[in-house]
Amino acid sequence: MADIVMAYSASHAPMMAADRESAPRDQADRFFDALQQVRKRATRAGVEAVVMISGEHFTNFFLDNLPQIAIGLGEGHQGPLEKWLKIPKVVVPGEPGLATHIMEQTVAAGFQPALSYKMKADHGFMTVYYELDPMMRLPMVPIVLNCTTVPLMTLAQCYEFGKAVGDAVRSYAGLQRVALCAAGGLSHFIGEPRVGDIDEEFDRWFVQQLEKEDLGDLLDMPNDELMKAGNGTGEVRAWVAVAGAMHGHRGTTLSYEPIYEWINGMGVVVYEDELPSTV
Amino acid sequence: MSLYQLQRCLFDYLRAMEDAPEGSERPALSVEGYDLTDDERDALVNGDIAAIYAAGTHPVIVNGYCRAMGYKRADYRPLLESVNAPTEGKTRWQTS
Repeated sequence: MADIVMAYSASHAPMMAADRESAPRDQADRFFDALQQVRKRATRAGVEAVVMISGEHFTNFFLDNLPQIAIGLGEGHQGPLEKWLKIPKVVVPGEPGLATHIMEQTVAAGFQPALSYKMKADHGFMTVYYELDPMMRLPMVPIVLNCTTVPLMTLAQCYEFGKAVGDAVRSYAGLQRVALCAAGGLSHFIGEPRVGDIDEEFDRWFVQQLEKEDLGDLLDMPNDELMKAGNGTGEVRAWVAVAGAMHGHRGTTLSYEPIYEWINGMGVVVYEDELPSTV
Repeated sequence: MSLYQLQRCLFDYLRAMEDAPEGSERPALSVEGYDLTDDERDALVNGDIAAIYAAGTHPVIVNGYCRAMGYKRADYRPLLESVNAPTEGKTRWQTS
């Protein structure tokens, strides 16, 4: 059966690939250093595929047909779509066997994800994936969550969905070493009067919650309270899903930088399977 | 229903821009075929970002439209600030 040999969550501001140099050098260096640590861990662990969870940006779906969850089952995923993103346009290999297994197992666990054999990978995936594998050959299973269009899944629901994803990966016989990644967040405000703001207090509180054994104070947060940290901040649903998949393990914050030039709280939190569950 | 039509119009426009060949001229936004109110049509034709936002357009679409029009956040933030005030209210992460 597969192991989740590495799990992490990272912010995915488009500017980190479109205009990397616009950020203060020391902040950008600390953020990318954290992602480089993650890449080294992945290489060391011999990761065979990555399951990535990100937010929907009206890339694959729109208001005429918008699932809360969708899983990419295809042989490949075209990305990135944004012309202005300085990442080569490629078809990222998919992992249909694992994706189908996650689909089946999460449905069996009581969730109703949509499926797509033609899922595209926008900046939400590609900015973080590119830092994990600059050659872009690592097979990916993309999962998109609706993070911006009400009604939205609660954090508690995302956590439970993540648990189901984690259980599914661990019951898959086709691979041995799988990585899990959330891409999105932290706080940001887009297309609204507070565009450019970052709620640093929320971001620091949020990553501290992920380092705790008991996530109760995080998981009972209602959606309208979360929205006060920014209308893009709901992408932390992906982070909470990864926390669910890694329940029993504490997160470790490798980096947090409020990068105003990228209009985003930029963080990296990592989990490792070998961590004891009662640290 | 027309809010959806307004958003659909912007979405289709943004997709058309993405599909346009590299370096080609920015296409004009067309409101033909969309069931819009006069105010919505005016907002779209005039590229009135404040009115587009005030109509209830999804912020992801507002964001995409502003980027496509070449606005930096410093340019369009003042246009939106007049529309509504930031949300008030204490949250669990605030210490002060």
